[in-house]
Amino acid sequence: MNFLYFQLSKPLRTSFYTTKSLKRTSPFVSEAVLIEKLNRRDEQAFHWLYDQYSPALFGVIRKIVHDDEQARDLLQDAFIKIWNNLDSYDASKGRLFTWLLNVARNTAIDNLRSAKASSRPNPANAIHTDAENVYIVDRQHQTEPENIDHIGMREVVDKLRPERKMLIDLVYFNGYTHEEAAEVLNLPLGTVKTRVRSALQELKQFFSR
Amino acid sequence: MDVSEYIASGTLELYALGAASDQERREVECLASIYPEIRQELDQLTEAMERYALVHSVDPPADLKEAIMSKLSFEPAPVQEPIVKPMPVSRPTFQFTWVAAASVGLILLSFALFLVNQLRESQQVQTSLRSTNNSLQDEIRQLRDRQQSADAAIALLKQPGTRVIQVLGNDKAPNGRLAVYWNAQLKQVAVEVSSLPKLAENQQYQLWSLVDGKPVDAGVFENLPTNGQLQRTNRSIGAADAFAVTIERRGGSPTPTLTALVAVGQVG
Repeated sequence: MNFLYFQLSKPLRTSFYTTKSLKRTSPFVSEAVLIEKLNRRDEQAFHWLYDQYSPALFGVIRKIVHDDEQARDLLQDAFIKIWNNLDSYDASKGRLFTWLLNVARNTAIDNLRSAKASSRPNPANAIHTDAENVYIVDRQHQTEPENIDHIGMREVVDKLRPERKMLIDLVYFNGYTHEEAAEVLNLPLGTVKTRVRSALQELKQFFSR
Repeated sequence: MDVSEYIASGTLELYALGAASDQERREVECLASIYPEIRQELDQLTEAMERYALVHSVDPPADLKEAIMSKLSFEPAPVQEPIVKPMPVSRPTFQFTWVAAASVGLILLSFALFLVNQLRESQQVQTSLRSTNNSLQDEIRQLRDRQQSADAAIALLKQPGTRVIQVLGNDKAPNGRLAVYWNAQLKQVAVEVSSLPKLAENQQYQLWSLVDGKPVDAGVFENLPTNGQLQRTNRSIGAADAFAVTIERRGGSPTPTLTALVAVGQVG
């Protein structure tokens, strides 16, 4: 299962793009211009949006639902939501990519929650396995030689302390509130909050290097 | 508030991870819009999460794009411009109309007040002019009367043979004093009162000429308030040794009431 998961994620992005490289490769001058085109429901703008962001959104959704068929449907749902709710994106509150990620993530987590509510009686168990998966898959990525950027990123991510990474994934990919995480990990609420902070600060430090 | 304390609280991290409650999310968005330090920290954290998400990028199935596009509308959203634009256009004209109407009203009102003021002022001027006019006419009338009596006195005095007799009050009128002008040839008599006691409404002063100790009616006269006015009596007096004044009932008496004798003056 873990191996399969790795295999499916094998066609990695050929380049890890930063905001800078996004700008360089994009036919659009700035995010503001793109958003303006998106608000006019410009087809070209959709192509650009999809090409640039669908791998990241798909990756996040897959991490959440662990099912390619479902991830496919959910990515479609997410893009329909994005397209219909572009008006509600407020550039002053955050970057477009963050907003897109939130829509995709919420779409997948809502789906996961409704599925969980109907089928899984013990979420703690499922989460534990899931956190392990993440860890193992990421270790396997380390052996992937094709992409320099990605390897760099992988290394960076692997430098995170396992329990911190687990916590991030638990919250980000499993949609747990920090109260739920505290319950599952059997830790005081304050400790979870502190650890979440440390983990994200570490992540921030890594990426800013 | 303590910004660095808030940054250290871990709430921003929960926000970046999408684990913040609705209330925390609103709080973070609000504070980030106020404090640049919080905005910066939040941007760095969300960017870190963006990169973390990118690490997990996976290309979606190739046919998915077409499938999604078939479900999207590429018509420009109809609710963009027409709603927004008319408002700022119509609102100023709306306001302008009111401002214009209000100013016109204000101008008319102040003009009306100005007119009312003018009217009131001209009415005041008119009343004061009228009273001045009345008092001037009164004065002219008095002056004319005085002129006439002065003319009469002068006419009498011009006549040769006119004599002036001083008549003085007795103990009944200690300050009483008058002058009698008498011309024996013309048999005319006039009286000039200097001062005599005030009389009741039904009384009048009467002048008598005494000829050989007998009183002859020489006419009635008023105790006029203005000094120096000459009153002709309508009796002809050809002879007199003295003149006397009594108080009689209005219209005069045929014989003098001796108890009411107030003044006597000898001719001579």
